[in-house]
Amino acid sequence: MKLIITDIKDFNIPIQEEHKIISPQGDIRNCIGCFGCWVKTPGKCVIHDGYEETGIDMSKCTEMILISECCYGSVSPFVKAVQDRALSYIHPDFVIRKGEMHHKRRYENVISISAYFYGDNITETEKETARNIIEANADNYCGLVKNVQFYKTVKELEDITL
Amino acid sequence: MKIALINGSPKVNNSASGVILEDLKYYISEKAEILDIDFHKSVVSEEQLKILNSAEAWVFAYPLYVDGIPSHLLSCLVQLEKARLQNHNIHIYGIVNCGFYEGIQAEFALKILQNWCIKAGFTWGGGIGIGGGGCLSMMPKTKYGQGPKAPIHKALELITDKIIRHETQENNYVSVAFPRFLYKMAAEMGWRQLIKYNGGKAKDLKKQWK
Repeated sequence: MKLIITDIKDFNIPIQEEHKIISPQGDIRNCIGCFGCWVKTPGKCVIHDGYEETGIDMSKCTEMILISECCYGSVSPFVKAVQDRALSYIHPDFVIRKGEMHHKRRYENVISISAYFYGDNITETEKETARNIIEANADNYCGLVKNVQFYKTVKELEDITL
Repeated sequence: MKIALINGSPKVNNSASGVILEDLKYYISEKAEILDIDFHKSVVSEEQLKILNSAEAWVFAYPLYVDGIPSHLLSCLVQLEKARLQNHNIHIYGIVNCGFYEGIQAEFALKILQNWCIKAGFTWGGGIGIGGGGCLSMMPKTKYGQGPKAPIHKALELITDKIIRHETQENNYVSVAFPRFLYKMAAEMGWRQLIKYNGGKAKDLKKQWK
């Protein structure tokens, strides 16, 4: 399953395989750092606003595709809120990978991450930051990076194949 | 000189960012006027904008969330960029705490703030990445410069000098003075205590949803 997380409300890029799209459908609340998704309802966020099961969705996907405005090298606040709220995809315990501390896996699936950033003035430094963050995401999810691309407008994204 | 200390944690109480800013005040308070600002939510108020516009330096303290900046704080940064404040002589400093042991894992969360400075028209003054942030709010008060927080205090003292002088530093990455294996062990014991406190069992920590 492909999991698409995007800040584009009317997302209509065709996707051929089985997929789920998480886009702004109602307000999303931000992660409050309570760790309830680890120690109260392990695997699921405790905030009930329709976005609490992204960690479970991630466990069922083989590819996670982020389609987002680029904000200073980060994904946009909406896409970041979805990512922050999906902390439960990983286990709270630590492991050492590549000499650094990361979290243990909760699930066995290996996610390949693609990111399609858009924005009319994305600097080269921001692109580098964005690529580095997607690499870091892959390390933390114990996954892989498939593709990171940049576009000037949402319109240009219509030509991509997902 | 006025310095705004911005708590970018979503937690209202007992955040590591709050602990770090309290420690920073120890070094700054006699040298400058401190303006406390809380960005616990995703909206910056008009009152906060007015206060921020009067400061010569802003120090953001925030946790590392999924390799970057927490979403609510990112929303605040977008608003601050659009606000186009009149005071462009503001230096920006960042202090990121991460739950991982290695402070270097905060590198890209600082880089986002640095990139934002360019877009918003401010001057980047440098930052600190603090590893082992998970234990900061639980640590008993120790003498400044001593105990497990000694490397953090040293980094705060150094950046204070830069802030006061309106200067820039290279990002500085530190960890708590506590062996990594003990930090890992303590954290894992803590999760087991918390889940039991909430009525669960240790094995529930690894629950998988179908």
